[in-house]
Amino acid sequence: MIELLKKLLAPIGPTGMEGAVAAAITEEIKDYADEIKTDALGNLIAVKHGKGPNPKKIMFSAHMDHIGFIVTGVEKEGYLRVASVGGVGIPVSRTRHVTFVNGVHGVVVKEPKEGPDMFKDLFIDIGAQDKEDALSMVSIGDVAVYAGDVFPLGKNRWASPAMDDRCACALLAKLLQTVGDTQDTVIAVFSVQEEVGCRGARVASFAMEPDIGIALDVTGWGDTPGTTQPEIKLGEGIAVKIMDRGSISNPALREELLVCGEKAGVKTQREVLPYGGTDASAMQTSRGGIPVCTISIPCRYVHSACEVIDMRDMDAGLKLLQEYLK
Amino acid sequence: MDLKTLTELNAPSGHEQALRRALLEELKARGFEPTIDRMGNVVVVKPGTGDAPRKRVLLSAHMDEVGLIVTSATEDGFLKVTTAGGIDPRVLVSKRVLVGDDKIPGVIGAVAIHLQSAADRKHVLAVRELSVDIGAKSKDEAEGKAPKGTYISFDTDYVEYGDGYACGKAFDDRVGIWNLLRILDGEYPVDIVAAFASEEEVGCRGAKGAAFAQEPDIGIILEGTTCNDLGDVPETQHVCKTGAGVCVSFMDGASIANRDLFKKTLEVGAANGIPHQVKNGTSGGNEGGVVQRARGGIPTVVLSVPCRYIHSPSSVIKLSDVESQLDLTKALLKAL
Amino acid sequence: MDLQKVLSEAAALCGPSGHEESVAAYFAELFRPFVDEVTVDKMYNVIAHKKGSGPKVMLSAHMDEIGMLVTKIEDDGSLRLGQIGGVDPRILPACRVWVHGREKLFGTIGALPPHLLSNEDRENNYRMDKLHVDVGLPAEKVRELVRIGDLVTFNNGSTALLNHQFAAKTMDDRACVAMLILTAEKLQMLKCDADVYFVGSTQEEVGCIGAETAAFAIDPDLAIALDVDHAATPGAPASATVPLDALVSTIGPFIQPKLEKRLEDCAKKHHVKLNSAVAGRWTGTDADEIGTARAGVPTVLLSLPEKYMHTTVETIDLQVLEEGSRLMAHFLSELDAGWEDDLWI
Repeated sequence: MIELLKKLLAPIGPTGMEGAVAAAITEEIKDYADEIKTDALGNLIAVKHGKGPNPKKIMFSAHMDHIGFIVTGVEKEGYLRVASVGGVGIPVSRTRHVTFVNGVHGVVVKEPKEGPDMFKDLFIDIGAQDKEDALSMVSIGDVAVYAGDVFPLGKNRWASPAMDDRCACALLAKLLQTVGDTQDTVIAVFSVQEEVGCRGARVASFAMEPDIGIALDVTGWGDTPGTTQPEIKLGEGIAVKIMDRGSISNPALREELLVCGEKAGVKTQREVLPYGGTDASAMQTSRGGIPVCTISIPCRYVHSACEVIDMRDMDAGLKLLQEYLK
Repeated sequence: MDLKTLTELNAPSGHEQALRRALLEELKARGFEPTIDRMGNVVVVKPGTGDAPRKRVLLSAHMDEVGLIVTSATEDGFLKVTTAGGIDPRVLVSKRVLVGDDKIPGVIGAVAIHLQSAADRKHVLAVRELSVDIGAKSKDEAEGKAPKGTYISFDTDYVEYGDGYACGKAFDDRVGIWNLLRILDGEYPVDIVAAFASEEEVGCRGAKGAAFAQEPDIGIILEGTTCNDLGDVPETQHVCKTGAGVCVSFMDGASIANRDLFKKTLEVGAANGIPHQVKNGTSGGNEGGVVQRARGGIPTVVLSVPCRYIHSPSSVIKLSDVESQLDLTKALLKAL
Repeated sequence: MDLQKVLSEAAALCGPSGHEESVAAYFAELFRPFVDEVTVDKMYNVIAHKKGSGPKVMLSAHMDEIGMLVTKIEDDGSLRLGQIGGVDPRILPACRVWVHGREKLFGTIGALPPHLLSNEDRENNYRMDKLHVDVGLPAEKVRELVRIGDLVTFNNGSTALLNHQFAAKTMDDRACVAMLILTAEKLQMLKCDADVYFVGSTQEEVGCIGAETAAFAIDPDLAIALDVDHAATPGAPASATVPLDALVSTIGPFIQPKLEKRLEDCAKKHHVKLNSAVAGRWTGTDADEIGTARAGVPTVLLSLPEKYMHTTVETIDLQVLEEGSRLMAHFLSELDAGWEDDLWI
């Protein structure tokens, strides 16, 4: 699993420019799906037809996009002014190494100003001499993300900037690779633009008309000094979402998934997240409405350059989902 | 029908009747068969000249403008209001308005400077603190003339001035409406669905319905957008510049442009020598958001005319930018 | 239908957003005698269909309530709370609740005794994350019976007040669902061509989710949302409230103006007192989502005034509720094929 995860963490895929991630995932899953397509917004959609009578259509959605910094202007001296794409925090971004899709490197800097953190006080230093030099390297509208980085933490944990939500992409790809024939039809959506409002999952669920929607995403943590909520611990199992700000999981589906975890003999955690939202929020209102739930991978320091997950939780998630599709 | 006529019609969000009627008449006079859909959008479908199957392109420009709505009348005959669409209350003080379909003149006054304390001078008057005065002497008289729910528009005429500039109200989005009318005069290889859309300023409600109903392959939004190119604003926060051509957006609060379509638009602009600029900012949102997310997803691009002092009674545009929007849209339609 | 009995029973049911199954089952049975077909969809919306050949109308009132759920079980057995929908933490101290664990447990939300409060304490309201539920059981027993995510709902009865006023939790918006049932009952006495879908909708308090999907599925020609509006009470701003004793129709961009006029005319004709309110933008009700379903649905909003919204003592006037059902029944009965003529001109 970790090798697959590393492959999917490598491409740069800011929100709205997920093509490189889609290409990397396609490589991994192309032999394991009956159909693969990319839609108008860039969602990668893989379908595995169910073998049972009257198969249900179960849509899984893991998002490919990664929060970033979009260039809105260039100062005379060559510094880039930026806006956030998705929920980028300023304190965790200061003096961070970032890279653009075309490989240009930069450092995020905040002007020394009193008062609340404002995005307009941030700039990216790409080492340009002046505006002209800068514009020879990047264009207005280009996007940078925290620079690629993957390293182990202790025995079971890995850190990387794009863990949200490439770890779920890896989980979904692995599920396709390992699940074999299923009774129900599996619609695996590697979605775009989750970080700006789950736009990809919205259109994909409309197009694919699933009967059930399951988002795969990371969730917060409550097990480091000074944190209490949510009641989620790394390494204590895959989390099944009860609710967050975007969706309330269908109670029956949620309990079914928890039972699958029990049957698979893996640890699960019940998750109530007082903030956030996942692709489930977009899937639930698709057409006439569908039951949704989110399978969450506990992740520390979400939306930072060091998002940390525990591979034991990933394995628990895989086994739970394999059991669910039996 | 010219831009002056269009901007001087009043069509606050949710009450676009006057403009809708004028457009129906104009479109029929031009030989089209406009329809009105369930959201109140005026829709014209114009088949393309290319070979079938042809792409179906939704062109959307919104009819509505920001305005006010009467919420009550005071005992002494002043009208209390709320806004329809985003208005900075600081632009309302000391302005003339027209109330209701009968266009009853009104004014928005304020306590005279002589009567203000030092604290008053700093205080921003909120909409709830402002009143529209139509000269009524009692609650009954005020309610008789302007019952609860009556819409109010800025009383501003259209003036051309300076070096090719125009000052008026509702350039957002009468420039798009005007260009959409002019675009319909041309011939294109693609099928066009022109949506003169309702209620953009309160959440793009018209375009959402139109995009669902019309099932286009591509969406092009014709808009007016913010422009801060004068005064104390640092250059990197200008968003765009008047006179630099039509503005193409890579991203805003509601949508991220389809990258291929965005690039193609810039290429078409360059190839045809049409003045254009990339919007230097991501604030705001427009119909691109709802069109892009309609049904199974639609590639969308937004082309805007830079508009200073947008959403105020006196916005300013450069007329050459309006022509650039027209030219680039036409050229793009031919290149799709 | 015994209105007070129905409202009391409905209020006692547990149905926070996303968990409306039992409320749906309750209302489904009440609709059944008056319509052709009743279904509960995947979102737990109750859809009661009275068939007709005329325009297809959707009426929607939501069944869900604001509520809470367990987010953490402390070592001492006390329970921490999260919220579903907008719960005002000021109403919680000393509030009795039901904890819907493996068994339904009586609980009370603790508050510190006044003797122990500092002056600073007294000046600040409790925050939800500082409060706990006490179920009076040892921690190990609590862990057996309660899990994270278990629902917590208010435990208080209903009360009849003077002048046909009635107080209970969840009158927002189960009172309007009751209004729909009364409407269906009254329609039996009237001629009605309209193809009517009465919807008890779900997840309104977290974004009108049930109404959005029901509107997509039903694909109505027009719609009426029914919800509560703030009635005047001491301290509430006059500009944001309406009198308790009359129904309210909203005017604004989210409301179809000609249809609204039709509602006003209908009220006038049948001597139903109808006030108006203005919403410059969203109404915060099912009307917002139904209005833009599919290609768009001309929609109006009828409101029942209610005092103390989102508390355990939401108070309405039962006569106004009855009047609302009379208005709805006549409106539906008089809805002719020409309703759409010149809708936008």
